[in-house]
Amino acid sequence: MIEVEQLEKSYGFARALKGISFSVQKGEVIGFLGPNGAGKSTTMKILTGYLLPSGGKASVAGFDVVEQSLAVRARIGYLPESTPLYAEMRVDEYLMFCAEIRGVVGGKRKAAIQRAVELCGLQRVTGKNIVELSKGYKQRVGLAQAIVHEPPVLILDEPTSGLDPNQIVEVRKLIERLGSEHTVILSTHYLQEVEKSCSRIIIVNQGQIVADGTHDELVAKRPAGALRARVRGPEVQVIAQCGELLPGISVAVESRSADTVAYHIDVSSGSALIEETFARLVIKNGWDLLELQRERASLEDVFRELTLGSEKEAVHA
Amino acid sequence: MRESLVIFRRELKGYFYSPIAYVFGVLMTGVLLFLSVSTSLVQGAQASMQTFFGLLPIVCIVFLPGLTMRLWAEERKMGTLELLMTFPVRISHLVLGKFGASVAFLAFVLLMTLGLPLTLGVYGRIDWSPVLASYAASLMFAGSFVAVGMFWSSMTRDQIVAMLLSLVSLFLLYLLGYPIIIELLTGWMPAWMIDVLNGISPYKYFESIGRGVLDTRDFVYFACFCGFFLYANALVLQSRREKG
Repeated sequence: MIEVEQLEKSYGFARALKGISFSVQKGEVIGFLGPNGAGKSTTMKILTGYLLPSGGKASVAGFDVVEQSLAVRARIGYLPESTPLYAEMRVDEYLMFCAEIRGVVGGKRKAAIQRAVELCGLQRVTGKNIVELSKGYKQRVGLAQAIVHEPPVLILDEPTSGLDPNQIVEVRKLIERLGSEHTVILSTHYLQEVEKSCSRIIIVNQGQIVADGTHDELVAKRPAGALRARVRGPEVQVIAQCGELLPGISVAVESRSADTVAYHIDVSSGSALIEETFARLVIKNGWDLLELQRERASLEDVFRELTLGSEKEAVHA
Repeated sequence: MRESLVIFRRELKGYFYSPIAYVFGVLMTGVLLFLSVSTSLVQGAQASMQTFFGLLPIVCIVFLPGLTMRLWAEERKMGTLELLMTFPVRISHLVLGKFGASVAFLAFVLLMTLGLPLTLGVYGRIDWSPVLASYAASLMFAGSFVAVGMFWSSMTRDQIVAMLLSLVSLFLLYLLGYPIIIELLTGWMPAWMIDVLNGISPYKYFESIGRGVLDTRDFVYFACFCGFFLYANALVLQSRREKG
């Protein structure tokens, strides 16, 4: 559905995109992650025809974004960052305008608007002026505008930024619903959002793609996390024996309660079999093992690891 | 063209939604009517449409930049330009739709001044055909001023800057055709250059407009004038696409 090849964009001397490539299949919901200024919005602006690329190629539904811009734009629904709207218009007028200009034919317009209104839960506010709406409703109007012509591709730039937690959940549900009919690319800063609603994640940093895969794939690439254990037994001995048995690890006490102690065992250089070894150690000594858990790497860890290091480099450079 | 029409309708509605347009319309007609009636009275108690059409260009130079300043600058500032530019619409159609709506709004404002010739018609005889021709011509040059203002509005996101730039450029364009200025320039510039500058200025057309005598050259001039600035406007928007 979407093919991006070595896409580049420079603003003056600043290179916002340094040749990124990815492709999106029909029906996928792609989460576009990255720190501010990574190039997420720029990529979206090029795909939607707002900006021209400085190099490389991109196509949507088989149409080139530069050569066949109008055809591409007709097949995209776009919600720009910060949701620009004509505040002085009424919701229904605004949606009518969007449907007309997007070329929804006369007879189908009413039904198309009705569908968008229902999908976005705007029934109660269609007669209101946009300026009077709450931020959550404005966001939904922006989404309704993007889907009113039933485009095969939806591009949403930070659709949930600035919303309260309830509104975020609502918009997220809406995006999930839309994902069943449209191919979606959305950018966001909320990592949980991507975990829940996206089938694939692309992380960009400094104009380059640093990761591309499903949530589980990205998380699996990260080395295993630390081990947390709760043991009933003499604290000093546990720590001493652990150090002896498993060289190259560090054991720290996390919390103490009544007669048990929770340990945090860092295994940055340890072996993969640390759970088994630790369990055997506890049993051999006749202590009680009450809890043993491997900390799972989270998307947040992956994100920080991939984007933070280079930020430091950038500061040095 | 269908898209231009959609833009045209939205923009025109937009004029009637905003208080600015009403304030503007009332002020402009008010000032125009007051000035033309009072100058006619001072000049000899003979009210004629000639004074009215003589004043119209100056009033337009003063007022129109205030109307056109927001056309693109506001869209850019609010971010709606991004929305417009990602609709499946050619830039030229966007420009034409916006331009058309502004001209239509001005036509409405001019209609409000029809009270003057109607009143004159009650107290004396009025020759309607030159008056109507003058109205048509007034709309043309008001339109060309809109094209200038709209061009400047596309250059900046600051409405005040857009207003000042269009005010100054309209005033300069006007001055270029002013007899005293031409005399001043005669010693400084080669004659052909003065001819060119004089040709660009809309000044000399005002008189024929006031008399209600229109000729094809006037139409061609205003069409070219509008065309030039509208084209420049589209180019500015297009270059934004490349620069970002």
